[in-house]
Amino acid sequence: MYSVSMYETKDYPTDRGEKISFDRSLIPPCQAACPLHMEIREYVDLIAQGKVMEALRVIRNDNPFPSICAHVCTHPCENACRRSQVDKPIAIRALKRFAVEFGGDRMVQGEAETMRSERVAIVGSGPAGLACAYYLRKLGYPVTIFEAHSELGGMLRVGIPQYRLPREVLDTEVQRLIQMGVEIRRNTRVVSLDLLFGMGYKVIFLTLGAHQGLRMGVEGEESPGVVDGATFLREVNLGLKPSLGEKAAVVGGGNVAIDAARTALRLGTKRVVILYRRSRAEMPADPTEVEQALEEGVEVQFLVTPTKIKRANGHLSVTCMRMELGDPDAGGRRRPVPIKDSEFDEEFDTLVTAIGQAPQIPEDFHLRMGRGSTVQVDPATLTTNRAGVFAGGDAVTGPATVVEALAAGRQAALRIDDYLQHRYPLANKEVREGLAGDLLPKTLDMVKKTSRLEPQVLPPEARGKNFEPVELVYNWEAAINEARRCLRCGMGAEILFQDKCATCLTCLRVCPYNVPYLDEGGVIQIPADQCQACGICVTQCPAGAIVLRKPYDRRHVASELDHALRSAAESKFKPFIIGFCCQYGLFGTGALASLWRRAKAGIWIVPVLCVAKVEAEHILRAFEMGAEGVFIAGCGEQCAREKTAFWVSQQVEKVRKVLVQLGLASERVQMFNLYAGDEDPAHALDEFTEKIGGLYLASVIKQEVKS
Amino acid sequence: MANSLFEEKLYSDKFLVTSEVGPPKGMDVADMVHHIDLLKDKVDAINITDHQSSVMRFPSLGGCLLVKERGGEPIFQVTCRDRNRLAIQADLLLACSRGIQNVLCLTGDSIDVGDHKEAKPVFDLDSVQLLRTIKTMESGKDLGGSDFKGSPKFCVGASVHPEADFIEPQLIKFEKKVAAGAQFFQTQGIFGLESLRRFMQYASQFEVKILAGIIVLSSARMAQYMNDNVPGIIVPQPIIDELSSAGKGKGLQKGMEIAARLVRTIKEENLCHGVHIMAVGNEGIVPDILEMAQIVGAAP
Amino acid sequence: MIVAQQKPLEEIRRLIAPYEKILILGCGTCVTVCGAGGEREVSFLHGALRVAQVKGGDGVHAFLEYTVKRQCDREFLDPLGDRVSEVDAILSLGCGVGVQVVAERFPDVPALPGVNTSFMGATEQGGVWDERCAACGDCRLAETAGICPITRCTKGILNGPCAGTKNGKCEANKDIDCAWVLIYKRLESLGQLDKIRRYYPPRNFRTIPRPRRLAGITSIDLGGSNG
Ligand SMILES: Cc1cc2nc3c(=O)[nH]c(=O)nc-3n(C[C@H](O)[C@H](O)[C@H](O)COP(=O)(O)OP(=O)(O)OC[C@H]3O[C@@H](n4cnc5c(N)ncnc54)[C@H](O)[C@@H]3O)c2cc1C
Ligand code: SF4
Ligand code: SF4
Ligand code: SF4
Repeated sequence: MYSVSMYETKDYPTDRGEKISFDRSLIPPCQAACPLHMEIREYVDLIAQGKVMEALRVIRNDNPFPSICAHVCTHPCENACRRSQVDKPIAIRALKRFAVEFGGDRMVQGEAETMRSERVAIVGSGPAGLACAYYLRKLGYPVTIFEAHSELGGMLRVGIPQYRLPREVLDTEVQRLIQMGVEIRRNTRVVSLDLLFGMGYKVIFLTLGAHQGLRMGVEGEESPGVVDGATFLREVNLGLKPSLGEKAAVVGGGNVAIDAARTALRLGTKRVVILYRRSRAEMPADPTEVEQALEEGVEVQFLVTPTKIKRANGHLSVTCMRMELGDPDAGGRRRPVPIKDSEFDEEFDTLVTAIGQAPQIPEDFHLRMGRGSTVQVDPATLTTNRAGVFAGGDAVTGPATVVEALAAGRQAALRIDDYLQHRYPLANKEVREGLAGDLLPKTLDMVKKTSRLEPQVLPPEARGKNFEPVELVYNWEAAINEARRCLRCGMGAEILFQDKCATCLTCLRVCPYNVPYLDEGGVIQIPADQCQACGICVTQCPAGAIVLRKPYDRRHVASELDHALRSAAESKFKPFIIGFCCQYGLFGTGALASLWRRAKAGIWIVPVLCVAKVEAEHILRAFEMGAEGVFIAGCGEQCAREKTAFWVSQQVEKVRKVLVQLGLASERVQMFNLYAGDEDPAHALDEFTEKIGGLYLASVIKQEVKS
Repeated sequence: MANSLFEEKLYSDKFLVTSEVGPPKGMDVADMVHHIDLLKDKVDAINITDHQSSVMRFPSLGGCLLVKERGGEPIFQVTCRDRNRLAIQADLLLACSRGIQNVLCLTGDSIDVGDHKEAKPVFDLDSVQLLRTIKTMESGKDLGGSDFKGSPKFCVGASVHPEADFIEPQLIKFEKKVAAGAQFFQTQGIFGLESLRRFMQYASQFEVKILAGIIVLSSARMAQYMNDNVPGIIVPQPIIDELSSAGKGKGLQKGMEIAARLVRTIKEENLCHGVHIMAVGNEGIVPDILEMAQIVGAAP
Repeated sequence: MIVAQQKPLEEIRRLIAPYEKILILGCGTCVTVCGAGGEREVSFLHGALRVAQVKGGDGVHAFLEYTVKRQCDREFLDPLGDRVSEVDAILSLGCGVGVQVVAERFPDVPALPGVNTSFMGATEQGGVWDERCAACGDCRLAETAGICPITRCTKGILNGPCAGTKNGKCEANKDIDCAWVLIYKRLESLGQLDKIRRYYPPRNFRTIPRPRRLAGITSIDLGGSNG
């Protein structure tokens, strides 16, 4: 895989001397569905901890332009998210937007060094071209982008309206590419590839997009006043103010149709009517955007299609026919069937067709073409029939999405590198297994339901007439709470040491989600696709046979504890107290830090990823190293997992038993709920530190009296 | 010829009355002697308990010897809790040699209810096996199969619990005891005559004598305590109510009335062959109860 | 399964007091299952003893931890050789059998018991075990409907319940079912009440010469008791 995880991919030795890989997690469905294979689970988890800069770093590992995706990505990850089996998917795109805005993406500098001499020409500056340029620069190649338009960005510039993608966002990314040393030729339409090779480019990457509006094929389509959507949006986006008159029709049901309709409204058109030949359920446009369009006043006529257009006295008379839904087509959507004698006429000033686009590839390129005027490539390498010519993006796939174009751009850069370095092209092989399978009812029933938090949008009254961004960014609290909903698919428990397992069935009995089971051979199994990664079995297994697939468990706690103990040992504060504190939620973000700064004693925080992972042995270790008190601060009811408080209290009890046998007060170990509502956690903590301070003083006095 | 005075009475038509005396903790037997003297001429035999409720005391056999000394008729209570089969056989030989020939064969209370909770529970035999052991001894052999030089003779009894809340297995065990040679039964304390009637209806098919156990309660608290702590005992609520209605300091009087009422009815209605009065810790009042029940002295 | 319970910390501290270097040796079989002496309990005890050292002023011990799959077979102990030569005592968290096999295998190093071996039992619910078998050597479960009166009746009697049973519970402990009530009910539902009506003579304790030895059909010489 291209990306390098932010977690150090090092092996760690076990107590038996064998080495096991650090990250044994399975690829979650969100990541598998993302064309860029972004480590969604990881960055969502970091956001849940309030670690937004780290989250951005993980995002940028796999995505050259996260700020763009954060605004317009069609988020196939969300469609695949397993959380939708429980309630609603994680709002992954909105979370990315939060990370981008709060993590300081604007400040990231474009850095690249030229380490190669082979020059690469990229034709087209859409997302595919820009991404390819980005990665080729990172790999050290000199890159030139040829763009027919005066501005860079392809459909990002000339297609997507500004209220969905503010132009500063795009400009920043382009600026960064220029910083990285990408050479740019604007207003330069490439008409011949031979010419480019003649200029010394060793490789050409074609990303011409799909800009040619498809024709409806009805009588009168050539009339003035009829325009295709892509062209209309391009004109608007390039600063022209085309007039659509008082009343406009938009034909189609996809995102382009919606964008065209909403743009028309913003240009001052009084009435905008979308004519769509199927019903709302079949609309390919994003439901949220359809909703927003309706809010803004766009009208939609379903099950209607134009059959004839006549121009008379400056207006268009459009004959429409009503449709009904028939059998499903190959794609599973029900086919529209015309209803006999249902024709009616309606008057419009203009009609925008938005029923799809096709690429337009100059014949002189001499490329082998595929269906729908697309360029044919080898999907693994993106090579065309001409040596040194690669192609990707909409030009190859037909109209698709930004993220697919970005993935194609990245793939092209890697394959171009292979080609120029005479390497056998690596097939895109996943190293890790993917996670498949639905949650079984016995597990599903146990998972807490939480409602998805949608990011706020501008109220419809405030948006109708301008191109201000509609969607607002999450605030801190909403983002964290939304991120906490992630099920952390594929990073759950694994019986790593089968030889140690005594088949005691403890895991089976303690799991709050009914995950482990005894197979027919009498072997205990923890199916990865069911585990909720709460970590309880890890802390309860008497044989120490279980680990989490990502080391969020005792190994993590132990190393954080060591760190805290080392700092405590060097500090002058006596007595010192160790606090195991959950990192998820608002308290991971510094609110807690301010709590303990207030305390009088030296409190050292051991950040843990859910207190369920704290084991009695960790607490004992703190005492052994001189702590006078230990507290465990968890989230109570706010915990995203089940039974956490119960199992923590078991660990606390276990330690208390030891303390009492040693003549130490059992109150030296305490459990706090950070969200106890009416009780201020700071208050409880103050009381605790006071008590520990008192115990300490008493013991010092006793010692002095003795000596 | 009967093996003992008590056995002789057992097979007469006389309404039998027995009572019990618990040995003391320690060497001072004055109270026990006093109680024996009080009872010996008023009842047909005196049971001496064997570490009752698993509380360690002066031995049962020692108590029986005292009864003999004072001219009374003892019933030697033998439990299986504290002695293995060797010790039990030996004690039985000693008993018989001193004319102590009435034996009540019991399993024995659990060690856990007593005052030596850490002791090893023996239970080498159970009550049925003990009954059979005696039969074996009477036949001139010990349990190891060796011949005795001089064999003992006994009149053997056992216990039964007509008021057990789950009676069927108790009845099976009763039959096993009958088959093992039990001649008489002293029942666990009973409080309701209904259960006794029902039991007698069933038990009359066997050639054994049944003495109904009567416990003298001294207060409602004691009744409650027995319900909670004494194995097998179930004092019904109406009796507890009656006791608590008695007023302060009058509990024992009430308990005696209740006991006397039971004894009199049993005798008048000829419900069974006799009664066994247990005045736990109040042995001195037994003669009064007999008087209240209008039972004339047991005298032979 | 053998059920055991870790000894109180105080007792363990007393046991190890004379020794400096101690190997805490867990067992990966029964005592792992009952949470008394598996790998986790070894490391928990280790942690507790270290706290005791700091807070309780115990002499300075050095500890090693290790858990073998089974202490009752010498072969599992063989890999311990080097570790054992470093220590002054072995604190075994295995059952009584394990401790003895460890003692035999390493005759020069004292073996100390870290758990009280309690009984053979079954899991009643997570974390709760009930005694089920007394290893009497003369199994009579066929006559008692699969319920052992020797283990589960506090008196171990054979001919039916004593008169102390109340509400189906034992006279010795109101939380424990009377074994004979259970036996009666199960025999009744099996239609086998004749089995309880039968007389059972006193037990033959002679089937139990102590210590017992069981030789299988093939017995393989392990070459002396010291492995
Ligand atoms: C209105 C609209 C809204 C959309 N909304 C979304 C959305 O919300 N989310 C999403 O994921 N996708 C969206 N898409 C689709 C997405 O924009 C495209 O899939 C994506 O931009 C394709 O990228 P590309 O690099 O392949 O081509 P393009 O972005 O189309 O870029 C091709 C570039 O090549 C240039 N070019 C063409 N021929 C030549 C030549 N001969 N010489 C030089 N330059 C040339 C063009 O001028 C253009 O700039 C939308 C598309 C449209 C039209
Ligand atoms: S729940 Fe989290 S890890 Fe699972 S698919 Fe959704 S975002 Fe990905
Ligand atoms: S808790 Fe551990 S030892 Fe027990 S069955 Fe599960 S994995 Fe095996
Ligand atoms: S980690 Fe939690 S959810 Fe997964 S198997 Fe263990 S206890 Fe169950």
